[in-house]
Amino acid sequence: MNRKPDVLILTGYGLNCDMETAHAFELAGARAHRVHINDLINESVSIHSFQIMVFGGGFSWGDDHGAGVIQAVRMKTHLGRQLLEFIDRGNLIIGICNGFQTLVNMGLLPGFDQNYQTRSVALIHNDCGNFRDQWVSLKINPSTPCIWTRGMTQPDRIQDLPLRHGEGKFYASAEIIDRLARDNQIVFQYAKPDGTAAEGQFPYNPNGAMMDIAGICDPTGRILGLMPHPEAFHHFTHHPDWTRRQANPTLPKPALGIRLFENAVQYLSKDKG
Amino acid sequence: MPNRIEIALKPDLFDAEGAGIQKKARAYFGIDVLSIRCVSIVTLDVELTGDQLDKIQLELFTNPVTQMSSRDPLPVPFDWCIWVGYRPGVKDNPGSTAVEAIEDILNTRFKKDEAVYTSKRYCISGSNLDRASIDRIADKLLANSIIQQWKIFSSTEWDPSMGIGIILPRVILNHTPTVTVIPVESDTDLQRLSRERNLALHPNDIPVIRRYFTDPGVRAERAKYGLSDPTDIELEYISQGRSDHCNHNTFRGLFHYRDMVSGECSRIDNLFKTCIEAPTLALKGKKPWVVSVLWDNAGAGRFDDDHYYVITGETHNSPSNMEAYGGAITGIVGVYRDPLGTGKGSRLIMGSYGFCVGHRDYSGNLKPHLHPRRLLDGVIEGVRDGGNKSGIPTPFGQVFFHPGYMGKCLVFVSALGIMPARILGEPADQKTTSDGDIVIMCGGRVGKDGIHGVTASSEVFSEHTPAGHVQIGDPYTQKKMHDFLLEARDAGLIQFITDNGGGGLSSSIGESARFSNGCHIELEKAPLKYDGLDQWEIWVSESQERMTVAVRPDHVDQFLQLSKKHAVESTAIGTYRNTGKLHITWSGKTCAHVDMDFLTSGFPQWEFDAHWLAPEYRGLLEPVLGDSYDFNTLVLDMLKRPNICSREWISRQYDHEVQGSSVIKPLVGKHRDIPSDACVIRPVLTSKKGLAFSQALLPLYSQIDAYHMTACTIDEALRRLIAVGTDMDHIGGVDNFCWPSIQYHPVHNPDGRFKAAQLVRSCQALRDMCLAYEIPLLSGKDSMYVDGHLAGKYGETHKISALETIQFSAVSVIEDISRCQTLDIKLPGDHVYVLGVTRNELGGSEYYHMQGYVGLNVPRVRPDAFKPVYRCLASAIEKRLIHSAHGIYSGGLAIHLALIAMGGDMGMDIDLSRLPTEDISQNVQALFSESPGRFIVTVAPGCRIEFEQLASGVVCACIGQTTGDQGNLVIAGLNGQPLTHISVNDLRQAWKTPFGELI
Repeated sequence: MNRKPDVLILTGYGLNCDMETAHAFELAGARAHRVHINDLINESVSIHSFQIMVFGGGFSWGDDHGAGVIQAVRMKTHLGRQLLEFIDRGNLIIGICNGFQTLVNMGLLPGFDQNYQTRSVALIHNDCGNFRDQWVSLKINPSTPCIWTRGMTQPDRIQDLPLRHGEGKFYASAEIIDRLARDNQIVFQYAKPDGTAAEGQFPYNPNGAMMDIAGICDPTGRILGLMPHPEAFHHFTHHPDWTRRQANPTLPKPALGIRLFENAVQYLSKDKG
Repeated sequence: MPNRIEIALKPDLFDAEGAGIQKKARAYFGIDVLSIRCVSIVTLDVELTGDQLDKIQLELFTNPVTQMSSRDPLPVPFDWCIWVGYRPGVKDNPGSTAVEAIEDILNTRFKKDEAVYTSKRYCISGSNLDRASIDRIADKLLANSIIQQWKIFSSTEWDPSMGIGIILPRVILNHTPTVTVIPVESDTDLQRLSRERNLALHPNDIPVIRRYFTDPGVRAERAKYGLSDPTDIELEYISQGRSDHCNHNTFRGLFHYRDMVSGECSRIDNLFKTCIEAPTLALKGKKPWVVSVLWDNAGAGRFDDDHYYVITGETHNSPSNMEAYGGAITGIVGVYRDPLGTGKGSRLIMGSYGFCVGHRDYSGNLKPHLHPRRLLDGVIEGVRDGGNKSGIPTPFGQVFFHPGYMGKCLVFVSALGIMPARILGEPADQKTTSDGDIVIMCGGRVGKDGIHGVTASSEVFSEHTPAGHVQIGDPYTQKKMHDFLLEARDAGLIQFITDNGGGGLSSSIGESARFSNGCHIELEKAPLKYDGLDQWEIWVSESQERMTVAVRPDHVDQFLQLSKKHAVESTAIGTYRNTGKLHITWSGKTCAHVDMDFLTSGFPQWEFDAHWLAPEYRGLLEPVLGDSYDFNTLVLDMLKRPNICSREWISRQYDHEVQGSSVIKPLVGKHRDIPSDACVIRPVLTSKKGLAFSQALLPLYSQIDAYHMTACTIDEALRRLIAVGTDMDHIGGVDNFCWPSIQYHPVHNPDGRFKAAQLVRSCQALRDMCLAYEIPLLSGKDSMYVDGHLAGKYGETHKISALETIQFSAVSVIEDISRCQTLDIKLPGDHVYVLGVTRNELGGSEYYHMQGYVGLNVPRVRPDAFKPVYRCLASAIEKRLIHSAHGIYSGGLAIHLALIAMGGDMGMDIDLSRLPTEDISQNVQALFSESPGRFIVTVAPGCRIEFEQLASGVVCACIGQTTGDQGNLVIAGLNGQPLTHISVNDLRQAWKTPFGELI
């Protein structure tokens, strides 16, 4: 039997989704470890004891000076080399919300040509001008190399997830967007509940993200960043329609968000042995 | 040399913040602006080399994808530019994180007087903009003079090379800390000094204080420490300890209650003891789930064998009234420290809010410091940032508009936490300080914040005077401290913990030292934000984000090490002792030496006259009002009422799903837009148990009788819980009183005695309802003096008093969350039932209010009749017999039928002739009566027989059926005549009209 993969979930400095992220990864079959950023920096915990690293949600450093900016600088300053080694070893990284913001500010995403040090995309203030908590419907790119979404890309499939952020508008130059699309690095796009593209329409696209982009991966498909929170949909009672479905079982059953984490666990146990 | 970096979005990017201000300028003031671009300014008051500046400018402060930056003013074009920055001493959270980040990236440490300041300028373009309009935008939208300063530049006044210049809001006090001895020769002298020094000592307390300090035994003991007459720090300590805020003198007062009609008199000695403590202790004996009440920062109930939940509620009215954002964020972040300081420490699991403000569209003559619209915007944002940045969900809240809150707004903030039942085998809810334990202050540093509360606001500002009396909470610093303290707790390092809120160290140490019976504080060790504070200021400062912890001497090193790992400042400032004395020294010299039991001995009780005149003798009567003939318009107009319409824009700004615990969300239904009766969370992710939480407030009923206002509020909070699936056996309550001043004064408070009677009656209702429904009060707070003096049209001032208000919060544990229910109707063809009797009870109702009446027939709670109904519904939900459940609250049956129809996006056919009623003769009465004790329930045809059997013993009638998708709300009247035929789309449109444009 394969050993359960070990997941590193960052904590400290205003990060806050670590408990439920750990729980969701445990449900997905991994062993979750909540580790303070400073325990990695002072090397009392080694990044190389893990196969999955999670940059989770929260307000690192209060999100002052741009969401995820200071976290990115601190990680890059103290752990930049180790992170590149971690990626080199074929491990997995996911950035959720504040974590996604951190990944793009470090340059781990989009990681064109596997250059993981260039900032070329940004997540900026929502067009609606405010923090927003709502559920969104997401379309998943069937051609993405992303390992986190394997088996989730049927054309009629919608993934419902909650999101909650003030700075989630995906922004990049037209050339960068073209390249992301061409290389199938766009993983998640905001959609209407019927599966058609949101085309920027509020509130289906809640933040004005270009091309309705909600999440992207690196060219290897092992690094994923997304604004919605898959860890916050690990139980059927999370879904806003759950009491309606109990009364009316003919309503379609939504797939839990932790399917993403199960894919990661499966990838590590099967593909890497 | 100080430097400045200006940062802005690249010109081709949409500026959402600017667009938001533009929208408000148009909506609030009719000022049309072409565009607003925001420029962030980081001013670095620190020695840095050019290379270092380049590095932080490019790597830290500029996003190469979206932003441009410059150390010279950015050439962003404008017609007018407004610069806004903080006043000295105001908490600049982004400035503090910038220091952390710069230290990290450059691997340096800032020197003592070095700092980073952040500010903003707004580049405004538009033709026909005059200075007055720009000044209005600055003063009424962008800045609050209490905490901020601003400058306005026209394009011609702007020097493109200078820009705003270098503005450094340093705090410079130039003061040597001094302990002052206060002579106590006579009561008059002490009274005068109390006034001069803002000590706010109660006149009746002064002789007691003098007697103590002139007692020969006390003086002899004091002489050993070099003390004679009291020092300022001692009197400040006594003043804090005796304040109404800390000591609840009003609720512990002696009330002479007199019924003015019968002449009957009664004497109520201590409302707290008789109406809160006594019933709670009686119920604690009956309810083994009550773990800890009446002594700690929050009350605790059993969640399961391994976990206790804790709950408390607070208000932060006065500060929010002055600076809405700062007051509200300080309020929510502050109340989060209560669970954190309960037992040996609890993890925060949710928060909630209640805002009572004047009308958003107020256009009358009164001039409040902040217009209600701006005030509401500010408190919404304050609670948003405070909750969201703490990583704590905010899944419930309420807003109530009434002109009475223009004198002072109400900002209720509540918090729930959870603790393990045991830590390393020891009970986690218990704690004590012992002789030899070290006193450690954790978190933020001490400044002139919050000293003497809002009285300081009348002081004259100078360029470097700290504007400390209004604070800005710092959720980031507190979140780090929260994570640290829970880790320390689990390692067994905490003997005692409490928060520093009102009264600062004076109250946190004063109270915690009662357990060990004494302490010795070396005050010079307390870390300061800036030099020059007097000793008494350090002692009573209310600087936020601080906790006081007792740590065993052999644990101190480990505790401090853990603190360092979490980047939290912790400092040992003294020792708990068993000397019977509060002893404070400053560099070895004693500045305070007071008996620990002094504050609890011999102070006179406050006394109040309470005169009750029943409403019918105050001229209140039922309006002579005929039935209506246009119910379609009436129902739609009622749905547009500010206290009924959708406030989705507020709920959506609050993260209600962080921690992954959401079960019943704040907004439910097919379109996820109808406010739920209550919220349910699953705080222990491995458990199927849930925690349900609800709140209610019904201040309009106080216009008639605060007894029934209170009873109905409690009943509503309870019904809200029942509707989502709780049972009656485990309901905990939290009372938050907000009352206008009850101290009679013939000129300044001529109706003080009536308001005192209202308070007595409210407390009696609290007692009666809690006993009847068996709701122990797990926590509660009182906030008096909800009055304000506002300038009118001619400069005259008007005293505006709030309606007597109680917010009641209710909490319950749900055994199996999969049985929870929501209010939205689910399927066509379901039967619609009403449980409970509809009576002619429209006094204080929303319908009368809309018509300009108060009325007399205030709704009454009949617990004996209601309880079987509640048990019946709880049982029906538990047996999964129903498809939806919803209480009937403010607005009455019509409004709540409309809400559940919108929730399901379905129609309903309703027949009022089948509605169980008493004394109802008109359709308006049936539709808009606010009788408590009622629910609307829908039941699938297949469950009908079983449901009706279950409900056979209670008042329950099927009044109609749900119809098809996007159907109509069709209501037939008492005599069968058609009353309404409104599509759910029209209902929704009306209901979203008032605030639907807000995001």
